[in-house]
Amino acid sequence: MRLLRNVFRRKVRSILTILGIVIGVFALIAMGSMAEKLTLLVDGGIEYYKDKAIVSEGGGMAFMASPMSKDRIKEVESIDGVKVAQAEINMLLEDLEAVNFGQPPMIVGTDLRGQEYESFEITFAKGRDLKEGDHKKVIVGSDLVNKLDAKVGKRIKIRGEKFEVIGILEKTLTGPDLTVVMSLADAQELYHKTLPDVLRKELKAEDLVTGITAFVDEDHDPDKVAKTIGKEIEGLSAMGPKAFQDQIGSAVGVFSAIITLIGLVALMVGGLSVVNTMSMSIAERTKEIGIRKAIGASSFKIIRQFLMESGVIGIIGGLIGLGLGIAFTSVANAAGNESGTALFLVTPRLAISAVLFALILGIIGGFFPAWRASRLNPVEALRYE
Amino acid sequence: MSDAMEGNLNQIVEVIDLHKSYRLGKNNFVHALRGTSLSIKKGGMTAIMGPSGSGKSTLMHIIGSLDTPSKGEVWLAGNRIDNLPKKKLPKLRASKMGFIFQGFNLIPTLTALENVALAAEYKGLSRKESAKLARERLDVVGLGDRIRHRQSELSGGEQHRVAIARALVNKPDIVLGDEPTGDLDTETSREIIQMMKEVNMTTGTTFVLVTHDPEVADSCDHQIQMRDGSIVDDSASKIDGSTKTLS
Repeated sequence: MRLLRNVFRRKVRSILTILGIVIGVFALIAMGSMAEKLTLLVDGGIEYYKDKAIVSEGGGMAFMASPMSKDRIKEVESIDGVKVAQAEINMLLEDLEAVNFGQPPMIVGTDLRGQEYESFEITFAKGRDLKEGDHKKVIVGSDLVNKLDAKVGKRIKIRGEKFEVIGILEKTLTGPDLTVVMSLADAQELYHKTLPDVLRKELKAEDLVTGITAFVDEDHDPDKVAKTIGKEIEGLSAMGPKAFQDQIGSAVGVFSAIITLIGLVALMVGGLSVVNTMSMSIAERTKEIGIRKAIGASSFKIIRQFLMESGVIGIIGGLIGLGLGIAFTSVANAAGNESGTALFLVTPRLAISAVLFALILGIIGGFFPAWRASRLNPVEALRYE
Repeated sequence: MSDAMEGNLNQIVEVIDLHKSYRLGKNNFVHALRGTSLSIKKGGMTAIMGPSGSGKSTLMHIIGSLDTPSKGEVWLAGNRIDNLPKKKLPKLRASKMGFIFQGFNLIPTLTALENVALAAEYKGLSRKESAKLARERLDVVGLGDRIRHRQSELSGGEQHRVAIARALVNKPDIVLGDEPTGDLDTETSREIIQMMKEVNMTTGTTFVLVTHDPEVADSCDHQIQMRDGSIVDDSASKIDGSTKTLS
């Protein structure tokens, strides 16, 4: 209580300083939660790709890959170390209207050949997995449930076609949350319709795939297998887990670092205002410091008192900033969920480090003024008016 | 221990040939004390008087270990204190000394009880013990019903009594007062002098008061007059002649 009374002896000034920290922590939470979401997406990708090589024609990422013939599966399976090759269609759930942070909602069509070898664990919140022979049936990722108004047993429209929802995925916080999974044949039909007229007339839907996932034997290095595929099969390139990590992981890593840095800079500015406030407060309380020293306060006790005051400013600002940050990201995610774009993820480690950082910043901000206060000559301090 | 201290254990303070000079500018020195020596009897009330700039406050600050002498010795209750390391001084002040300043110098954000308890906390007592002691002392000065009030809610006399309670909370050997009635009207001033006398008589606490107020001086059993950094008159020397080389 005494501590709070001291902190709020100049209410407006203390509130403004706390506001500085609040804004900083809020920025750190908003920016950091975006970075956390991206990092989790990438981590999920790394986990997913760890025993696979992703094959595409001419290179490029799954959702922007060009079509290729389904027959190439046999060529991929002929490579040493490939357990099985699964034909896939990866396409956007809907055409993008704006630039999208993170992953856009996707349709994945699969021939299920790799289903029994899949090591990436996905559990179902409701319903069941796809099986051979399912037609016009879909599994919906958790972040798309609202957007598609999906319920098990309900028929929903995807790219103009009606599908029955047979399963809803548990939240994974990575790629599958924003994915609708259907049989390869259904996806081929949808994909075929999106092709330009010229191509559509020439190509048959059932021959089309956009990617092949090669499931690699446990005793083979998926990166090496990917390399061999690229080398030995003409026109195809393949990406192993390391390539995924290098290309996507490092790019996202840099992006995450930049946005986190922006949040940190905002918080540093808040921290500087703590230095200013504590310096002013200590200048005003010079006489009080003299009294405290005269009645027996050691330098350590003076420093401790002022550090506790600046720490309180830091922690109050940190907690309010965290609260606002959580409120903001929840509202933004709820709004984004409608369109399937939840951008933010406030992880416990982010929340704890943001508040801890605010506390440490408060203490560091208060340290120099507190140290100066502890060095005041008591006689001079007592004379101060 | 000096001969004087060895020979006279009923003296609480012994000051020997004390000098203090301050540097003002590059080659300009101000001599606040010029070889001052004095003894203060345990359990007495001593008034140090003199015009502004005579060195009385400097003397009190050095006795109170708030300032250090340029030369000379200061003994408190048989222990030399002028050469103690700086970090030992806060504990010395907290346990052996009480201070009453002009303008009372209470901490405005703290209640009367907290102001008094703070001195006990600095001595190393727990918050609970400190609060208990503070309540007792505030009772002694007649403020038992005002303990939750802050400085702004107390009259000048009440603030002064809080300051006295604070000075007494750790049962110090000596209470040092710098113009303790400086800001008070005549009636309140008398009331405070009376209270200090009562405390002095009932507890045997030594008071050393720097003052301009002749009424304060008259109520003390030992008066010291200072001028230009030296003692020019010391009533104790007239009584027993056992102390001081008057400068």
